[in-house]
Amino acid sequence: MEAYLPCLYAFIACVAFCLVFNMRGKLIFFTSLGGAIGWFVYLLLSPLQNDIVQFFLATVVITLYSEIMARIHRVPVTGYLLIALLPMVPGGGIYYSMEYCIAGNTEMFLETGLHTLGIAGALALGILLVSSLVRLWHACGDRTEPHA
Amino acid sequence: MNYDELVNTTMEVGYLLLSNGAEIYRVEDSMRRIFRAYGVETGDVFVIPTCIFATVETGQGKPITGFKRLYTRVTNLDKVERANDLCRVVCYKKPDFQTVREEVRSIDQRPAYGFWTQVAAYALIAFSFTLFYSGSFADACCALVCGAAVRLVIDFMGRFSTNSFFMNIAASCVAATLALLAVQFGFGANTDKIIIGALMNLVPGIVITSFMRDVIAGDLIAGLIRFVESLLVATAIAIGAGVALLAPRLIWGV
Repeated sequence: MEAYLPCLYAFIACVAFCLVFNMRGKLIFFTSLGGAIGWFVYLLLSPLQNDIVQFFLATVVITLYSEIMARIHRVPVTGYLLIALLPMVPGGGIYYSMEYCIAGNTEMFLETGLHTLGIAGALALGILLVSSLVRLWHACGDRTEPHA
Repeated sequence: MNYDELVNTTMEVGYLLLSNGAEIYRVEDSMRRIFRAYGVETGDVFVIPTCIFATVETGQGKPITGFKRLYTRVTNLDKVERANDLCRVVCYKKPDFQTVREEVRSIDQRPAYGFWTQVAAYALIAFSFTLFYSGSFADACCALVCGAAVRLVIDFMGRFSTNSFFMNIAASCVAATLALLAVQFGFGANTDKIIIGALMNLVPGIVITSFMRDVIAGDLIAGLIRFVESLLVATAIAIGAGVALLAPRLIWGV
């Protein structure tokens, strides 16, 4: 149970981000739930022992969740996706790369920096995959429906 | 059909969407739909994060072009949502332009959360991310102060209308300095966890996701602009925190 506590922290962080980006009403709860679900998937996949794959799959789940929720609530998917993905952003990686850089530890700087880039790439790829599939699905279906 | 009014009104709707953080394809698509709803099939739109261009052709084949420059963009999801609803309504009901403009104005004046709520939200973000990155509870309490400081510094720098690069350097420098002091005086244990928590407020996560979505939709120039933007923010954060970490080492040789 203890191991899954970060999901709660991700949820709280997303609620706070909703306030910063001026989101209102019940959407705050559902958006933040997306952030918690994303991290839950990440932790659930930890037996894979490969955090880039974990980040990728968690992003796929978050993007799917966002697209579905945006259609249920008939609001733009923008807010869902922006906020729910924020806990996935490798803030730690950026910081540690910088710390190694100023400590003059070039080897660790490169390793951490490249790893951080890899995580960012995994996030981007996850969004790309799901969003492209959703667009494909849209293109096959009704063209007159405005963007969700 | 008054084409001047059509272009102006559509530009206003597009401006409202873009300046509050909607994706490029959403802005372009909404504007095109409005042109089509009023029976103009030749309306063309080009949007990048800093400008909006729109041209329609009148019945006599004369082109009418509008252009709007954006200097500041914020992320206000409430307004994006309302503006999106407005577009739907405009496309279905085709109200007269005066009504649309009044609606745009009323959306634009919708209240945002107050300044102190935002300060509290920044503090809460720092608090929860410190715990998220496995900091202790004491660290998280220090991060509360650092997070609130980030918001205050941004507000303070904003009054002098400095560029966002310098603003981010200052904010991350202040946050890192406070974290170092907190650990020095024994309030917290892990400097790195506190700083990471506080800096998550500044990390350009928003830009990374929206830049990917722009690129997927084929808006490559817009994607490039946002990509450069996110690189600049990340560099600024690293410089600010780096200066704060490096200064004591240089001065006292700690």
